[in-house]
Amino acid sequence: MKRKLISAIGVAGMMISLAACGGDNGDGGDKAGADGYAGQTLTVWVMDGSSPDQWQKDVQAAFEKKTKAKVKFEIQQWNGIQQKLTTALSEENPPDVFEIGNTQTPAYAKTGGLADLADLKTEIGADWAASLNESSIYDGKQYAAPWYFANRVVLYNKKVWAEAGIKDTPKTRDEFYADLKQIGEKTDAEPIYLPGQNWYHFVGLTIGEGAELVKKDGDKYVSNLDDPKIAAAMETYKKFQALSKAPKDKDEATPQQGEVFGKGNVGAFIGMGWEAGIAIKANPKIEKEIGYFTIPGATADKPEGVFLGGSNLAVAAGSQKQELAKEFLKIALSDQYEGELAKLNGVIPNKESLQTNLKGNAVAEAAAPAAAGGGTTPLIPEWAAVENAPNPIKTYMTAVLNGKSPAEAAKQVEDEFNKRLAQQQ
Amino acid sequence: MKRSLFGRLWPNVTAVVLFIGFVFPVYWMFSTAFKPTGDIISEDPVWFPTDITFEHFKRATGVDHFWTYVSNSLIVTLCAVGLALLVALAGSFALARMRFKGRRGFVIGFMLAQMAPWEVMIIAMYMIVRDASMLNSLVPLTVFYMMMILPFTILTLRGFVAAVPRELEEAAMVDGCSRAQAFRKVILPLLAPGLMSTSLFGFITAWNEFPLVLVLNKEAEAQTLPLWLSSFQTAFGNDWGATMAASSLFAIPILILFVFLQRRAVSGLTAGAVKG
Amino acid sequence: MTVQTERPPSGPVDVTKRDESGPAGPRRRAASRAGTLTPYLLLLPACAATVLLLGWPLLKDVLLSFQNLNMAQLIQHVTEWNGIDNYKEVLTGEDFWRVTLRSILFTAVNVVLIMVLGALVGLLLARLGRRMRVMLLVGLVLAWAMPVVAATTVYQWLFAQRFGVVNWVLDKLGWHSMADYSWTSSQMSTFFVVTVLIVWMSIPFVAINLYAATTTIPSELYEAASLDGAGAWKSFTTVTMPFLRPFLYATTFLEIIWVFKAFVQVFTINGGGPDRLTEILPVYAYIEGVGNQHYGMGAAIAVLTILILLGLTAYYLRIVLKQEEDEL
Repeated sequence: MKRKLISAIGVAGMMISLAACGGDNGDGGDKAGADGYAGQTLTVWVMDGSSPDQWQKDVQAAFEKKTKAKVKFEIQQWNGIQQKLTTALSEENPPDVFEIGNTQTPAYAKTGGLADLADLKTEIGADWAASLNESSIYDGKQYAAPWYFANRVVLYNKKVWAEAGIKDTPKTRDEFYADLKQIGEKTDAEPIYLPGQNWYHFVGLTIGEGAELVKKDGDKYVSNLDDPKIAAAMETYKKFQALSKAPKDKDEATPQQGEVFGKGNVGAFIGMGWEAGIAIKANPKIEKEIGYFTIPGATADKPEGVFLGGSNLAVAAGSQKQELAKEFLKIALSDQYEGELAKLNGVIPNKESLQTNLKGNAVAEAAAPAAAGGGTTPLIPEWAAVENAPNPIKTYMTAVLNGKSPAEAAKQVEDEFNKRLAQQQ
Repeated sequence: MKRSLFGRLWPNVTAVVLFIGFVFPVYWMFSTAFKPTGDIISEDPVWFPTDITFEHFKRATGVDHFWTYVSNSLIVTLCAVGLALLVALAGSFALARMRFKGRRGFVIGFMLAQMAPWEVMIIAMYMIVRDASMLNSLVPLTVFYMMMILPFTILTLRGFVAAVPRELEEAAMVDGCSRAQAFRKVILPLLAPGLMSTSLFGFITAWNEFPLVLVLNKEAEAQTLPLWLSSFQTAFGNDWGATMAASSLFAIPILILFVFLQRRAVSGLTAGAVKG
Repeated sequence: MTVQTERPPSGPVDVTKRDESGPAGPRRRAASRAGTLTPYLLLLPACAATVLLLGWPLLKDVLLSFQNLNMAQLIQHVTEWNGIDNYKEVLTGEDFWRVTLRSILFTAVNVVLIMVLGALVGLLLARLGRRMRVMLLVGLVLAWAMPVVAATTVYQWLFAQRFGVVNWVLDKLGWHSMADYSWTSSQMSTFFVVTVLIVWMSIPFVAINLYAATTTIPSELYEAASLDGAGAWKSFTTVTMPFLRPFLYATTFLEIIWVFKAFVQVFTINGGGPDRLTEILPVYAYIEGVGNQHYGMGAAIAVLTILILLGLTAYYLRIVLKQEEDEL
């Protein structure tokens, strides 16, 4: 009793002395006004690099014009985003609208942190491409709206390829390999920059092989990495990785492969179209040398399998501004701005009718042929835990590249992989 | 006693080698920060920067909210250290100079508190602060940082208080000072070096902390410099120039404070001990 | 920053002379009644802060460790008690024990290195001429003052695979396989970098304080020893060591705590990788709890981590307990 009182006094004293230190940045209240949405501010989290400044400005203007409310974009880094998002969704003032990776969406849908967007789907989503909308649906309900999608292409340095005497871009995997070999022999450039843990490309290769990363064992999901098809995909990866001097235990972001490519001494790398921007920022002179082509598959008629990365937009269930958030989605996903995003970033829009915006965009034209055969990681809530660092698939890749057989490596990571898939939700 | 040439030489040679070993990482940080990118990413290291550039510093400080981070860091650190010194001074005086029941318990209690692994309790702290609606504020940060450095501060100050000769205090009291006056006029001035060196530790701890601020404060307006520094590698890829410039800027206040205070702190300790 | 030894370097403080023997007179009674309360009042703010700011999170952490707390529960503010399931899962798994053993070995190796090398550097300081001493002190202070976040970043650059200066030097020294060596590729090499970093950061604290302590050893003690015919080694073991012992105990205690909790260094250099092989307990608790969003499990590991740390420092705490008893 006495102790309680004592500590209470202590706290009061502390608070008083802290008042002098100041710096409390309390959020202004966001009570819905009677006169529409005027005076309110909607917070929107978008990932670094996902939407150009121009697009944000245009959407901001349209939004303010229609609702009289303001919108604040906050740029987020992919690194550690799940932890940040989980805690944010539990708070009083979560971001009202946020971008969420398609493979992470089911897990968050299951947590109850995402608002049900059924009415939005009826209103504006009638012709969303079904394959792109798949990740937004959990348990029959619409928990997010498909925003944009993209897949990897080969970015190459035309000058290096010309130096090596190569005239045409390759159409098959073997031609691709032969070309890279030729670059290695005839120039002093690194033929391809392929770090050991570009795991999205690896997932693409497994999709190309028709393999699944997980399988069902009773009512549980377990690792399927010991599938010979996965091993085949990994062998392909290893063959190409052997041509690169890139570290075997790093992914494509450390260092940013675009920056390495930007130095001009690399023949090619496998990445997203926008990574060209990173290269150009590092070395503006490289801009005119960059070319793109579809990742060649085993045969000329079918491009390589690709991971169809993408993002959805979701509304926080805890947001106080549900209606305003939906207004925002209606604008951001409207044909005008969805089309603008596709045009500016060369990404695949959520409706087939908007794909005309991609005409003349070299990246999109290289990406499009593979998109049809693209796929994702398993769209199950259990999957999100797998992607947390240290990602067992990355571990698997490094193990194989460092000399283990695919079967041994699969065995090595199996326990960790299964443990994550079995994590209590 | 005559020592051989070798006997005279080896301590000095060892000292030089050690000096290089200890200074080199610090030197390399500063020199990289001033080198043009071409000299940083070169097959053979450029040991001494010849053409100096401020480019990297411009990039490092050009980040949005940079000055907010600086002022937040200063506010939080100074307030935490100031509070901790105040609270600790009272406690350490009692522990060093007074006899009372449970004194041993208090000492052990603070030693245990000093061992608290804060990094592993982050989620518990996060939930407390969240449920108190105090996220994105500097207040919880300040009080938690204060707590992180409080046990060490108390225990260290206790040693300093104990080292002040009791006779001085008694003499003052014989001269008619009250105990409080004796404390203020006699002990406090003698404690100054102790206070400084203790505050140094607190300053470093609070200045460096980032796991807690990372989860508590998501808004840039309430973030601190360690987050800025640790976000650099993601934001700038392998731009070592800018990263080293940021590290340099981050380290400079501590380096200055340290060089300034360390001599007084050590000499204070020795002087106090010798006199005692 | 100086180390607080249980007995200040000047030897035991005369704590038996108490204020009761102070000014006598009519006011004495009242004064002594107030006097019995004074120490508690003086300690009140510190204790209140500790209970509120440390006790509360600790209690919360213990409570969380008995809960099933994952993404969904955190987001929806649901409390799901699951008894001792978390502890059962942690304690029956191999991982925890492996990480614990690794943590203890890691702490032991680092603390031994720090204490031995730090003591040697401290003794060297005492032996050097003035100019050399100041130079070495400057070097030590610079390393000591580097904020850990900055130091960790600098070490990543020193040991970078491409353009890292360490690899370049090793290559030039004739060890060509190190030219493009990735220090983060294996368990031992990652630990090597972390250990170099921690030892580099920690030696100055030990060395400078030990040097400061040696300067306070009264020279009469050495004179007496040499009168007794003691040589350099004998006087070191009979005079220097006993004098420094309390200091060494206290420093070792602090270093054990600091190294054991070296979260930032290990986490930043390689995130506990490769293959989770360099996770020490705090990193393990963080990755299981926050990284994998398995917060209840993380809390259980945190509680166990605290217990293990208590175990590691129990010996020193017992010494302190006994010492404080002697003083009263």
